Amino acid sequence: MIVCSRCSKENQDHYKFCLGCGAELPRESSKPRSFTAPTPPGGTPSPARTTNAPQAQAGRAEAVASAPQLEQLEIDPTPVEAVRSKPVAVEDPLPPELAPLSDETSPCPHCGSDVPENFRFCHVCGHDLDAEAFGEAAGAALGDGPAERVSAPAVAEAPGAAVARARLVLIQPDGSEGEAFPLSGDPTLIGRSTGGIFANDAYLSPEHAEFRFESDQLVVKDMESLNGVYIRIEPDVPIELFDGSIFRVGQEILQFEGPVAPDSADDGTQHMGSPHQGYLGRISLVIGRDTTGNSHPIPPHGIHLGRERGDVVFHGDGYVSGLHCRVHSEVGHVFLTDVGSSNGTFVRVSNESYVPQGTFVLMGQQLFRAEY
Amino acid sequence: MEQARNYVCTECASAVPSGHKFCGACGAGVPPEAQTLETRFFGALQMPGKARLIVVRGDEAMGEGLSYLLQATEHVAGREADQIPFPSDNWLSPKHANFLYRGEKLVVRDEGSLNGVYIRVRGAAPIQIGDHFMCGQQLFRVDATPKDTSGPEADQTYFYSSPRRPSAFRVTQVLEGGMDGIVCCAHEQSVQVGREDCDINFPGDVYMSPRHARIEMSGESLELVDENSQNGTYVRIRGERELSHGDYLFLGRNLLRVEVTA
Repeated sequence: MIVCSRCSKENQDHYKFCLGCGAELPRESSKPRSFTAPTPPGGTPSPARTTNAPQAQAGRAEAVASAPQLEQLEIDPTPVEAVRSKPVAVEDPLPPELAPLSDETSPCPHCGSDVPENFRFCHVCGHDLDAEAFGEAAGAALGDGPAERVSAPAVAEAPGAAVARARLVLIQPDGSEGEAFPLSGDPTLIGRSTGGIFANDAYLSPEHAEFRFESDQLVVKDMESLNGVYIRIEPDVPIELFDGSIFRVGQEILQFEGPVAPDSADDGTQHMGSPHQGYLGRISLVIGRDTTGNSHPIPPHGIHLGRERGDVVFHGDGYVSGLHCRVHSEVGHVFLTDVGSSNGTFVRVSNESYVPQGTFVLMGQQLFRAEY
Repeated sequence: MEQARNYVCTECASAVPSGHKFCGACGAGVPPEAQTLETRFFGALQMPGKARLIVVRGDEAMGEGLSYLLQATEHVAGREADQIPFPSDNWLSPKHANFLYRGEKLVVRDEGSLNGVYIRVRGAAPIQIGDHFMCGQQLFRVDATPKDTSGPEADQTYFYSSPRRPSAFRVTQVLEGGMDGIVCCAHEQSVQVGREDCDINFPGDVYMSPRHARIEMSGESLELVDENSQNGTYVRIRGERELSHGDYLFLGRNLLRVEVTA
């Protein structure tokens, strides 16, 4: 309950404006949680966090056995565990209305934006503010404290090592960066069998995905994995949906089903039913193999999806933004557009896809950023 | 002076008590119409124990307000039926339903039609998985929750599904043409249908009441409860169903009221 400071009316927690006088309400409660690679429903079947140092190390040994180019990672003696520091915001720009409130700000050394003091990363450009601070204060201090995390990529790029053309940077549950996995081979196979940070993710297939370069573009190929590879789509850029297309919003896996042609009985009798308002298809919640839960038909004018607003709402999913994405029709085709969500909308790769520099990639339980 | 109270023999002018076939005085025959005094109805519509169907909302070609007297033993309704025809409603099978008398009782029998016969629920009615029901312009089916198919693969990869909530059953909207529309899995023990503020909402359906009906699970069984909706909630009959005065039926787009004279 939020009590309006102007007219004293009591408003529900998710209201942004007072129902009584229209005054803007404090926004604390409407802030979505930052994206993690969330624990899937039904719990975690096995330890899968890369923050588990001994296991990560063991996995690394396997990785080395099968892929010698990973050796450089061995150089990093740092237990991956120490990374957890202050809670941080996601490093992609938050929409202004969702940005956490903070009184004190300081300018980002990279882009000059005013960044709240408690931020670990610049909310505009993603610049790592701690690294800056540590670098300036005490370069020698690298090796303990939060700055350890930075050392991993630093080592990976160290002169003399076989330089990987690209790497996958793990995004940790608190939004900070974790280990970086170099994509040294061309192609590089990723999966539970390749060990390393992937060894303990029970939602990855043994051979999950393959990354390769096509000229200077990174390409990912889904190796017919069970759970697929998801790529974050650009906000406000429509992506076409086809019958069977799967996308992810927060923790929800959604499937688009194209329109079905009506059939009639041999004697000419039509199937009766609710008025068909020219639906473009349906959006269904995937709850199992070939099993869907709630579904919603898409009328010709399209639908919006969000946690609080829209035609289809996900009240229980804190990773979904208030208004997250929309599914709409243009010139007879159906498109999915992210409308500026905090955590993004991810589309499951159908066979292969380009992975532009900086793209977020979801595989298994883990979120990565592709850098090259 | 007063009128003779009984039949008077035309031969001998003697009074013949009612029920006699011959005159006791002269032996002349009494004509049959004089033997049994039968009071007839002005019209067949008055016949007791006979029902009629009134088309409340009907086939464009046949018009509304039409009534069909059910005075034979069987009365077939359908798109190509002779007795109760609805020629322009393609939701009706050629031979859709049969209204017939079983003893004193009027029953309706679904003649294996594609779309079935729906009867208005009085208060609440038991309903089963697979049954269809109607609210306003909307048609629904009650479905079972599919088996959990999110277990691990042989290679120990786990299936990543959306967060699942336990659900006892689900309600699926059936669209014109036979496709499925909205699917709503029951959160608790019920799914409510209406124009607004329900689990499944149809703000654009002017025949739907704000809170129209709900499917509720009590113990192992499901019940369809009409929430005093203005236009009623209809459930598809299985096979045959006894009718009584005041029942409403949907056959395709046609709404019929049953009137049974006592």
